Amino acid sequence: MVETLGKNVIQLSQATFEFILLLQQTILNVFKPPFRWKEFVKQLEFVANGSLIIVVFCVSFAAMVTILESSFHMKMVIQNDSMVPGFAAMLIFKELGAVVTALLLTSRVGAGMTAEVGSMKITEQIDALKMLGIDPVHYLVVPRWLATIIGATLLTVIANMVCLYCAFLVSQAYLGFTEGIFITNLTRFVRFSDLFQSCVKGASFGTVIPLMSCYWGFRCQSGAEGVGTATTNSVVASSVAIIMIDFILSFMFS
Amino acid sequence: MQIWRVSTQSFATTGMAGFFVGAIMTVQFTMQMKEFGALGYLGGLATSATIREIGPLLIAFMLSGKVGAFTSAELGTMRVTEQIDAIRCLGADPLQEIILPRFIAIVVSSFFLLGLGLFMSIFGGMFLGGLFAGVNYEEYFRHIPTIVAFPSIVAGLIKCFVFALVLATICTFKGYSTTGGAKGVGRAVVETAVSTMVCIVIADWMTSFMGDIILRLVSGV
Repeated sequence: MVETLGKNVIQLSQATFEFILLLQQTILNVFKPPFRWKEFVKQLEFVANGSLIIVVFCVSFAAMVTILESSFHMKMVIQNDSMVPGFAAMLIFKELGAVVTALLLTSRVGAGMTAEVGSMKITEQIDALKMLGIDPVHYLVVPRWLATIIGATLLTVIANMVCLYCAFLVSQAYLGFTEGIFITNLTRFVRFSDLFQSCVKGASFGTVIPLMSCYWGFRCQSGAEGVGTATTNSVVASSVAIIMIDFILSFMFS
Repeated sequence: MQIWRVSTQSFATTGMAGFFVGAIMTVQFTMQMKEFGALGYLGGLATSATIREIGPLLIAFMLSGKVGAFTSAELGTMRVTEQIDAIRCLGADPLQEIILPRFIAIVVSSFFLLGLGLFMSIFGGMFLGGLFAGVNYEEYFRHIPTIVAFPSIVAGLIKCFVFALVLATICTFKGYSTTGGAKGVGRAVVETAVSTMVCIVIADWMTSFMGDIILRLVSGV
């Protein structure tokens, strides 16, 4: 019991150290001269364009549920639901838009990157890169990192807008608000800085996802089982990291 | 055995996720309730919102990464290394031998894990309520029974059960139908994670809508 606990703690601290090392290397490598535009654009297309439909789809369903549930709660506590647009919009901007987008990106982009880097690792392509004198961090991680930061920020803005629009439609169809009431109530609660906070959240989630996935991809063990395990680990680690960062940022902004 | 394995592996992750989800919801609700001076309702409201809506959704997302991806990776590996064909050669039905125990195990243990996560979220909320909003613990708990009615808990648990079913179905299917080597396993895991999340969001919407309609029918309004 104590032995396994100690082993786990040592492993965890080692992993954290290696992760920070990867982060440092990535940041240093961003400024090294040959900037790989082609790879960057390809990754941006994969991250942002490829995930757009899924994100919009999921987020719109989430928005519908959110506004219905907040109406339910407001009716229960203060017996009327006239504040619902403002409240639901606050919840969407501060919490739901960024987090749901990031969790979706984790499973789509993060898992995809781990699987890709992991299979490169086990087919010894990464060793081949090293032989050619190319730093794998510079070649693989940096374009993915930059692309995901930008992609996640953009997707967060889009997700927030779609979310708001869906809540708007549902509140008219199902809860009986008119457009005017909805917008008036909305502007009373939501400020522009809320959207900015949401963007900051999106960008910080975008920082974590590719680093986590590349980290697990580099550590991939050989064989089909190794790729599966690495992908699972990366998804779990990123999701936990996202929820913790979300908590820290919410705490800091309030 | 499968139940034990799935549960123990995800126990800590789920508990922690639940704790943080509760904490986040409390922080958010504090900011809103302060404007009304209604901090007394904080505990009840945050708990109710977490149990009915945000909690199951976010924790199920976590589990789809943890349990779903793990299972489909395992089944995919079995498929790719031809272990499933070997079982068939031995005259056993792979569906019965491999899929069924895993399916049941995932449904049962995800259900309990989600329940655990929701339970932990109450404590997360309580802790942060004390730390952040200055609401002491008794005050936090006082309004929970009045606001979190029995139907809310049932709704939350029904959601958990539906999510568990969705998760189990998708990850066993995707894992079982893997093709093409190590790359195929990676692809199967990615597909599992993505389609599970999409289906969970849809299931969330359906249960909320259906629950609302059924409640209306039952109460006769």
